[in-house]
Amino acid sequence: MWLPLLGLLLGISLGLLTDVQIPTIYESYLSIAVLAALDTLFGGIRAQLQQVYDDYVFVTGFFFNIALAAGLAFLGVHLGVDLYLAAVFAFGVRLFQNIAIIRRILLSKWNDKKAKQSEKAV
Amino acid sequence: MKRKMHTPFIIVLFIIGFMLAMQYNTVKNPQQRDTRDLWDIRRELSLEKQRHSELLANIQQLNSTISKYENMDNDSPDRILRETVQGLKQEAGLTAITSPGLVLRVDASPEAKVLGQAVPNISPDLLVKLVNDINRFKGNAVVIDRKRIVQTTAIRDINGQTTVNSLAVRTPPFMITIGTSTLADANKLASYLESSSIADDFYLDNLTLSIGKPQKKVTLNGFDQSFHNKFLSETTKGE
Repeated sequence: MWLPLLGLLLGISLGLLTDVQIPTIYESYLSIAVLAALDTLFGGIRAQLQQVYDDYVFVTGFFFNIALAAGLAFLGVHLGVDLYLAAVFAFGVRLFQNIAIIRRILLSKWNDKKAKQSEKAV
Repeated sequence: MKRKMHTPFIIVLFIIGFMLAMQYNTVKNPQQRDTRDLWDIRRELSLEKQRHSELLANIQQLNSTISKYENMDNDSPDRILRETVQGLKQEAGLTAITSPGLVLRVDASPEAKVLGQAVPNISPDLLVKLVNDINRFKGNAVVIDRKRIVQTTAIRDINGQTTVNSLAVRTPPFMITIGTSTLADANKLASYLESSSIADDFYLDNLTLSIGKPQKKVTLNGFDQSFHNKFLSETTKGE
């Protein structure tokens, strides 16, 4: 449980300590890539809770989503249409859905636990 | 089984963390806002342009020296080297020069004379301010009471005596001679000094500064002491 959080902390500290910066024109690509990564992450957590998790789906989904989002943003810049909004919208909606499902699963687990405990007490 | 499942999560979270940190770095990057307005920027631009043209002039001068060296006859390297040394000496202020310029006269103020007050010595601060004003405005060479101002000149107070190059400046009246590149520059310098507040500063010290007419030829004597150089040393011959 704590190991992935350690990975997150390691990534943040490495990024802050190395002081890597990207040119301002590529900033939108990075923000949309972060959004895509978060979407995949929560998708993975949901899949794990629903016991349908698969390594390959998770890892390929992570990189594919990032590439797709950045590609869409790139295409949008060149077509003069704000296509990255489509990615933001899609990922945003999915993020909310996934978090809602995770919440429901956790709630039902908690309820089950509570019910079991009260049964034991009786 | 569970440990195996952790690995992709660790990697993905690591990448997300790195991207977030990068995003943070990029967003907070311009910590100081650029608050210069158009005129500030224009002023800076003009300063840079001035420096650009000065550098270009320097390069041109050096190039001409190089081409002189390259084109010299077999028997004349001596002459050209001597010319270069002479030029450098002139630039350093070691030789006497004759150029367009003007003469300033520092005297005790009439009030001080009438009231019978002792004629005060000029203060080093006032003299420094005057030299700075002259240098700011195209004064090429300055001689204060027959003491030439060079790069290493110190204007300071020694035992209550104002000194230039460690030599005491006379009690007023005395002369300050300024050499400029052209007569036009001398004219400009004269009008600049007349319009500046430097005369008021002299008046506060019971002195007057009279600015002479720009002349086509003024003679400035050279620096007659020796330079003490702490940083350069002579190399031995044959190396």
